Amino acid sequence: MHKPVTDAIVEHWTSRVLRFGVWGSAALMIVGLVLSGLQSFTLPAPEQNPSLGELAHRVWSLTADPIILMYLGLVLLMFTPIIRVIAAIAGFAAERDRRFAWVGTIVLVMLIGEIVYSVVGR
Amino acid sequence: MTYTSLLLLFASGIITGGVGALLGLGGGVFLIPFLVLVFDLPMHQAIATSIVAVIATSSAGAAMNLERHTVNMRFGMLLEIATVFGAVLGGITANLLSGAALKKLFAFLLLVVSILMIRRARQRRTSEQVHLDGALPGSFIDDATGAEVKYTVKRIPSVMGVGFVAGNVSGLLGVGGGIFKVPAMTMLSGMPIKAATATSNFMIGVTAAASAFIYFANGHMDPYIASPAVLGVLTGSILGVRLGRKIKSHVLTWIFAVVLLGIAIQLYLR
Repeated sequence: MHKPVTDAIVEHWTSRVLRFGVWGSAALMIVGLVLSGLQSFTLPAPEQNPSLGELAHRVWSLTADPIILMYLGLVLLMFTPIIRVIAAIAGFAAERDRRFAWVGTIVLVMLIGEIVYSVVGR
Repeated sequence: MTYTSLLLLFASGIITGGVGALLGLGGGVFLIPFLVLVFDLPMHQAIATSIVAVIATSSAGAAMNLERHTVNMRFGMLLEIATVFGAVLGGITANLLSGAALKKLFAFLLLVVSILMIRRARQRRTSEQVHLDGALPGSFIDDATGAEVKYTVKRIPSVMGVGFVAGNVSGLLGVGGGIFKVPAMTMLSGMPIKAATATSNFMIGVTAAASAFIYFANGHMDPYIASPAVLGVLTGSILGVRLGRKIKSHVLTWIFAVVLLGIAIQLYLR
């Protein structure tokens, strides 16, 4: 029999998501900085920040340099609260709290709209 | 980028994050002037760096507070509708304003924050009055007394109004905005201070993320600057929280309120 989902369980999983995001991004930034330092910081930072698509492509094609690793750390950090909102929506839905699953969905839609605006408006 | 500037950025992150945590403020209030006045960074770049630092400290703090059950997730997510809306508008506005205009606005914000800090230091803490006839009930165990504190929240629309302003300031100037939200949550909605602080901190990451992508898309995030600064602020805030448990001095608040006032004048005149 499944254990009923409680607020405490939702809080625990949301906390895990946040921890993973913070420490994962910190690890990426540290690795990027160390590798960059080993090359005496000779790699120039690009004039413009790479787009999210460019970042995904560099990772997918395994051509990520130390600067891309640092960018990935920063982007993972920026996505952490958004993943936290998704975790909370899933938690509220599992608790059968429809009203707050919808509240979370409104927040998520606003955040996604803002990301789309940033990407398209560039 | 040199090893020296990397270490200096990391150290400035530790100092500003540590002082921010000691005073119950996000690191942004101290980090931005530091980056502008000491490292001569453009205002937009300083705000972008601060925004990601704010996400890091808020997320790390919220993870801890969620395990302690001091966060009222439902109230926090409801308020996020207002703070995110405010932050998106703030982020868009900031990218339309000049660096000089943002500097003047930030100087004004520092003035307001220092006045609020002095007020907070002068206030005598009275016993908290919680209501049990409101909405969105919450409870937590108070570490100091070991007793369970139960509460509900009132005047949600008014607090959402303050949340919108706090979110707007966060998106516009790269700070957390807790200094506006926490008093509203305690005074208007009757939330105990511990729950209000934890819930405000829980919301700050989402609010900051709302404007972070705008700054990123506009090319204001330099990984050589943001990475060491974020790592420093994260380390500093962890140390600051630990130190804060041992130091409870109103004198500290007074000193930094005066320091902030000085920084505000310097930023305004620059």
